[in-house]
Amino acid sequence: MAETYDFLFKFLVIGSAGTGKSCLLHQFIENKFKQDSNHTIGVEFGSRVVNVGGKTVKLQIWDTAGQERFRSVTRSYYRGAAGALLVYDITSRETYNSLAAWLTDARTLASPNIVVILCGNKKDLDPEREVTFLEASRFAQENELMFLETSALTGENVEEAFLKCARTILNKIDSGELDPERMGSGIQYGDASLRQLRQPRSAQAVAPQPCGC
Amino acid sequence: MSPGDPKWLDVIERDLHRQFPFHEMFVSRGGHGQQDLFRVLKAYTLYRPEEGYCQAQAPIAAVLLMHMPAEQAFWCLVQICEKYLPGYYSEKLEAIQLDGEILFSLLQKVSPVAHKHLSRQKIDPLLYMTEWFMCAFARTLPWSSVLRVWDMFFCEGVKIIFRVGLVLLKHALGSPEKLKACQGQYETIEQLRSLSPKIMQEAFLVQEVVELPVTERQIEREHLIQLRRWQETRGCAPEGSSPPGPSPAGLSSPGFSASPLPGFSPPPLPGEPDIPGE
Repeated sequence: MAETYDFLFKFLVIGSAGTGKSCLLHQFIENKFKQDSNHTIGVEFGSRVVNVGGKTVKLQIWDTAGQERFRSVTRSYYRGAAGALLVYDITSRETYNSLAAWLTDARTLASPNIVVILCGNKKDLDPEREVTFLEASRFAQENELMFLETSALTGENVEEAFLKCARTILNKIDSGELDPERMGSGIQYGDASLRQLRQPRSAQAVAPQPCGC
Repeated sequence: MSPGDPKWLDVIERDLHRQFPFHEMFVSRGGHGQQDLFRVLKAYTLYRPEEGYCQAQAPIAAVLLMHMPAEQAFWCLVQICEKYLPGYYSEKLEAIQLDGEILFSLLQKVSPVAHKHLSRQKIDPLLYMTEWFMCAFARTLPWSSVLRVWDMFFCEGVKIIFRVGLVLLKHALGSPEKLKACQGQYETIEQLRSLSPKIMQEAFLVQEVVELPVTERQIEREHLIQLRRWQETRGCAPEGSSPPGPSPAGLSSPGFSASPLPGFSPPPLPGEPDIPGE
């Protein structure tokens, strides 16, 4: 039987090579650190159903290759993404310096409305840190991103990063800022919400939604 | 030893422990396998500084190192990058995009059902064939099949890569029953990423590849068609479409007629740099 969920969101994980994108995904899906992993060539996938604010949401996560020259190839993966984890490595200034370019890609290739959370990964390697929390949070603020420092190794803030992104998208749907029915929104209704949608729109607007948020 | 461009060395170093991490040669950090891998990949960036390092070269070099000493592995890598799969690893990765179009077009003849399904779901070939082709299936197939495919590839060139791809697509998506599990784009790609072991098994796969009715001529013709289409839509030829060395005019993949590697011995190219550290 198919899983039931209210919404399906397409997520991207983007950022420079070796920042731990696949390990973040693996930690989120499997709840453990992937010790011996291949680097990603092209794209990897994962999905998980989560509960956010009383809604069940299926996250369909596309994890991309980080090397710059793969950008021409990974462009085709961006289309219709609703959310993104933009990842850098706190121990590598170079990966931090390329954030602006990744962000531009996400906003031009996926959608200008894509909800992005900045993740400073490898938080567990604090002694080797090259990028301060303050500096990155300033970048996040200037670019209207959410921000967390994460560790795919210990799992710290990994779940939070995905959930925070999902919650923001849900809020934007509720406030009307995001329209799931617009083409390429990266959002689909699941079985559970399709039933509600079949009611006439006017009735839907009047009747309070029976949800737990 | 030449210092090398730090831009490339940084990425190479990040990848050394990420190639076949369960293989005894590559299992230990800084072990001889990883050291050789570093030297081979670095050597390529010195040999072709304008191309540098592409992450998909690492698994290729690692497989070569499992079979030969570092210097020979380096020259083999050069042959693969320049003769067998020209343009696959260079700056814009255009050759792989072109070959994706060629693969998809050939699929129409091999399995109309699979072709129709993929085109209805608007699945860009790059979504499933990038890793297959760039790594010559080294990270996709079971090991015994990898070795057979690579043997055929060295003898017959890139057409083997196309044929393997076509066989996998045909058997993964080629019937209405199989497509039942592939309702959406994501499910279809999932299906292609978790291929049934049956269709990847050595005896079955090799037999299918040999018997697949796709001739070299058909691949070449499709190549020319897609090349023309590429030039029309983008106004220029893709990288690697006129590689150095003897190749059929206008073909970006002379692997069609690639001559077998002469016993894996390094070609006598005078004046080439020594592999660093040798």
